Amino acid sequence: MAPPLPPIIADWFAARGWAPRSHQLDVLASHQAEASQLLIAPTGAGKTLAGFLPTLSDLVDGDFDGLHTLYISPLKALAVDVQRNLSNPIAEMDLPIRVETRTGDTSAAKRARQRVKPPQVLLTTPEQLALLISHPHAELMFGTLRRVVLDELHALVTSKRGDLLSLGLARLAKLAPDMRITALSATVARPDLLRDWIAQPRPERRTDLLRMVGGAPPQLQILETEERLPWAGHSAVYAHRELYAVIKQHKTTLLFVNTRSQAEMLFQGLWDINEDMLPIALHHGSLSVEQRRKVEAAMASGKLKAVVCTSTLDLGIDWGDVDLVVQVGAPKGSSRMLQRIGRANHRLDDPSEALLVPSNRFEVLECEAAVEAVAEGHQDSEDPMPGGYDVLAQHVLGMACAEPFLAEDLYAEVTRAWPYRDLSREKFDKVLDFVATGGYALRAYERYARLRQNSDGKWRLSHPQVAQQYRLNIGTIIEEPMVRVRLVRARGLKQGRTTGPIGAGGRVLGEMEEYFFGTLSLGDTFMFGGEIVAFEGMKDNEAFVSRAFSKDPKIPSYMGGKFPLSTYLAERVRRIMDSPEEWSKLPDQVGDWLRLQRDLSVMPRRDSLLVETFPRGTQNFLVCYPFEGRLAHQTLGMLLTRRLERMRARPLGFVASEYALAVWGLGDLSALIRTGRLSLDELFSEDMLGDDLEAWLDESALMKRTFRNCAIIAGLIERRHPGKEKTGRQITMSSDIIYDVLYQHEPDHILIEATRRDAARGLLDIERLGQMLSRIRHHIVHKPLHQISPLAVPVMLDIGKEPIFGEARESAMADAADELIREALGGR
Amino acid sequence: MLRFAGHNFEPLSSGALYWRARQTLLVADLHLEKMASFARRGQMLPPYDTAMTLSRLETDIRRTGATRLLSLGDSFHRADSANLLTPADRMRVDAITEAVECIWLSGNHDPAPHAIGGLCLPELELDGLLFTHEPNKGRTGLVAGHLHPAARIAMDGRTTRKPCFVHDNRLLILPAYGASTGALNILSPAFMGLFHWPALEVVMLGRDRTYPVPVRRLVGG
Repeated sequence: MAPPLPPIIADWFAARGWAPRSHQLDVLASHQAEASQLLIAPTGAGKTLAGFLPTLSDLVDGDFDGLHTLYISPLKALAVDVQRNLSNPIAEMDLPIRVETRTGDTSAAKRARQRVKPPQVLLTTPEQLALLISHPHAELMFGTLRRVVLDELHALVTSKRGDLLSLGLARLAKLAPDMRITALSATVARPDLLRDWIAQPRPERRTDLLRMVGGAPPQLQILETEERLPWAGHSAVYAHRELYAVIKQHKTTLLFVNTRSQAEMLFQGLWDINEDMLPIALHHGSLSVEQRRKVEAAMASGKLKAVVCTSTLDLGIDWGDVDLVVQVGAPKGSSRMLQRIGRANHRLDDPSEALLVPSNRFEVLECEAAVEAVAEGHQDSEDPMPGGYDVLAQHVLGMACAEPFLAEDLYAEVTRAWPYRDLSREKFDKVLDFVATGGYALRAYERYARLRQNSDGKWRLSHPQVAQQYRLNIGTIIEEPMVRVRLVRARGLKQGRTTGPIGAGGRVLGEMEEYFFGTLSLGDTFMFGGEIVAFEGMKDNEAFVSRAFSKDPKIPSYMGGKFPLSTYLAERVRRIMDSPEEWSKLPDQVGDWLRLQRDLSVMPRRDSLLVETFPRGTQNFLVCYPFEGRLAHQTLGMLLTRRLERMRARPLGFVASEYALAVWGLGDLSALIRTGRLSLDELFSEDMLGDDLEAWLDESALMKRTFRNCAIIAGLIERRHPGKEKTGRQITMSSDIIYDVLYQHEPDHILIEATRRDAARGLLDIERLGQMLSRIRHHIVHKPLHQISPLAVPVMLDIGKEPIFGEARESAMADAADELIREALGGR
Repeated sequence: MLRFAGHNFEPLSSGALYWRARQTLLVADLHLEKMASFARRGQMLPPYDTAMTLSRLETDIRRTGATRLLSLGDSFHRADSANLLTPADRMRVDAITEAVECIWLSGNHDPAPHAIGGLCLPELELDGLLFTHEPNKGRTGLVAGHLHPAARIAMDGRTTRKPCFVHDNRLLILPAYGASTGALNILSPAFMGLFHWPALEVVMLGRDRTYPVPVRRLVGG
């Protein structure tokens, strides 16, 4: 049943020969029935209008005073774009509605005015919402609020920004009793969870789940290449010519890659063969904001033929003219792929066209799995997860800035945020204690408390300056510490290595993550800013590089994409390998490779773990194929080497790929296993996640990086101080020390707990490793070989290319010390 | 063993240097109460660094049998830190100052004498060596702290960064001993011009032992 559309709006549609789409009317009907609603629809299906039709409809009379609708999106650019899209119909209908944006760029005067005299519609981000509700008298601004529109909710709920937003909504539900929520989301694996997520602040209110049906299924293909498919690597150089031809045939092509360095390589490669001087642009997170805006503007005005981009363009404003999406490199997940495909062709009834370009043979399998999954419309997006304690700590401080509170009241409110619905009172109190005095068992800081309890039991700020600090540290996005990369002249590293401090001077090429340089040795070559450079050394906040005369960088600076291979695609890849009858649909080169593996070794089966051992040179290798993603494999590699050391197999190192893990050492692994001195069941037993993990976490650089982020979000470490901005580098140094001190003295501190939970799902992916270990328990297939197997070739090729894990290693010092002794004895 | 200006020292993995001939334990840059000094500005860093540093000291004194402790300045992070020790930490400091002869040299963080046991001096001359807080190139036989030296080495793709002892037989700089201290690469500008590079010796701190390493393995960062 269609809801009554105010005549002025109906006329507006009619005057343009349009009719509102059914999902737009569904949202309106649901809103008019006093319900909240989640609308699942593909990008560009007229979602903006769907989201705002109820607002326009409520406000046609023009007698509403105060803030009516709050729109929140993950991107500033979206807010600005929505303002544009909304202003036109409002002007054309001559409605008395004021629409304003509020972002980090909004002037202080305008922000202050917005709090006192808000527009009817305010477009903003989760961080700005947090700031607004931390002001005393926030109820004056939000008391009139009727609607909250959440855009691209699927992208927010799996991050800490989603946690922050959920807590903000819980507070809004208290400030604005009439509030209803409209959430817009791409298709996800569990829409019911998303609906619960928006229902949680007001469980008593009805929340509808609306889906936009229809739209043609996407056409997804794998690039059929005439070239030789590489065994390993991520550059897809082989496909550049064929890609160039494809770009020429289309109007506008979006080329997605997984990492910045891949984007650099592809961009450079395409320009090397750009005989027609096609306008091809580059877009990734390390480029300056102005540069990115320029590319986006050129794209919007249809001036570009192609854009090479990373996940920075996963979301964002709609570009109608994109008629092809290309994914170069592993698609990682089916939902991710579907969303990227959705960036093409926003005319709903035409199918979106997309092309997958695997950059190596394993990725062919992953692409094949993705094509099947997309054809079935299978979703494997991440579910929203329990909220972080660090974000909660930030919110608790913000709420104290707003007004004094009783612990039980705030606890009840916080559990109205979906990610915190199961939070125990005990944990809440620990977080509160942390905010007040650091939460240490040794109660050393009572005299410096940030929060104190009034005689009526309410918690209040101990000093107004705390509010100022809070506002400067708000948000959950932590920038990686970056170093400047400066071009200097080479110093003839071949002969003498380093001889002392390097001089300054030279041109700055750009910025790069600091941790990358921790893994480099002098003279290592890598790609930066479209050229190959050699690492010459580091000084303070700068890395020095020289031009390298090499065609082939030694370190691909790949560093893994942000997203691991989804469990679902991994399962499909294992199935394809285990089903020889399906190999015929693979390219011949790949089919032959798998048949060779079957003949010379064995195939990894679907429900077991294949472990191959073989000698090579003076060393012995163990290669296994868990298909659980690089992060989980790195953790497994760290733990396996620890155990092998204990079992006296003398491991030397390991390298992890998305699919496989190779460990090498001096001990004869085949013989150790044959004679029963090494048991694979024991080696891979789940108890490695107990003591070995503990011992490793103690010194893990990844754990420290995770801790740093938690500590900044929770407000233990300040990201900025009034007047003097700390550099990222300083924060890194001190957060490692803080972690060491805290981990040793109070390993059950709330921030260590927060770090552990993040690491389990994040950089260490312990959760997935645990599931894998339990899946393969007693299902390990050992194949001793005399030489490397076909399947092992890709990961073995990564040795020396992929950075070997940059953990602090005593062995490096021990070997260096031995070298010194040999020199002293004259034995060079 | 670390041989410097004609004397034998034993570098410990904790960052202390034991001078057996004098039964003296040398340490630099304890920075006691550093984390607590952040708390008073609203950053509640873990209040355990003082206890950690004191534990290291107690262990080193017990293991070496030292009868004298010589601290090369910046023993406390702030001038008034000694007065703000928690009662438990204060008792441990007192126990140390009672058990061994303590000499606290002044540093830039703690220029004035402390209200704890032992002797507070600007610098100390002993057996032809001059012990002081800040290093300089002036005279032979200078033993100092202040700069928190660290070394990063690269071996076959592995890299490790650890605090270190560094000397050129004229000047010796100790690593920072305090649990709350960071460290600075000896290739950075702060060290420029201090050492005679060809004579440089570097001893890095490991988990349970120290490692003398070749200078040409040093890298920045």
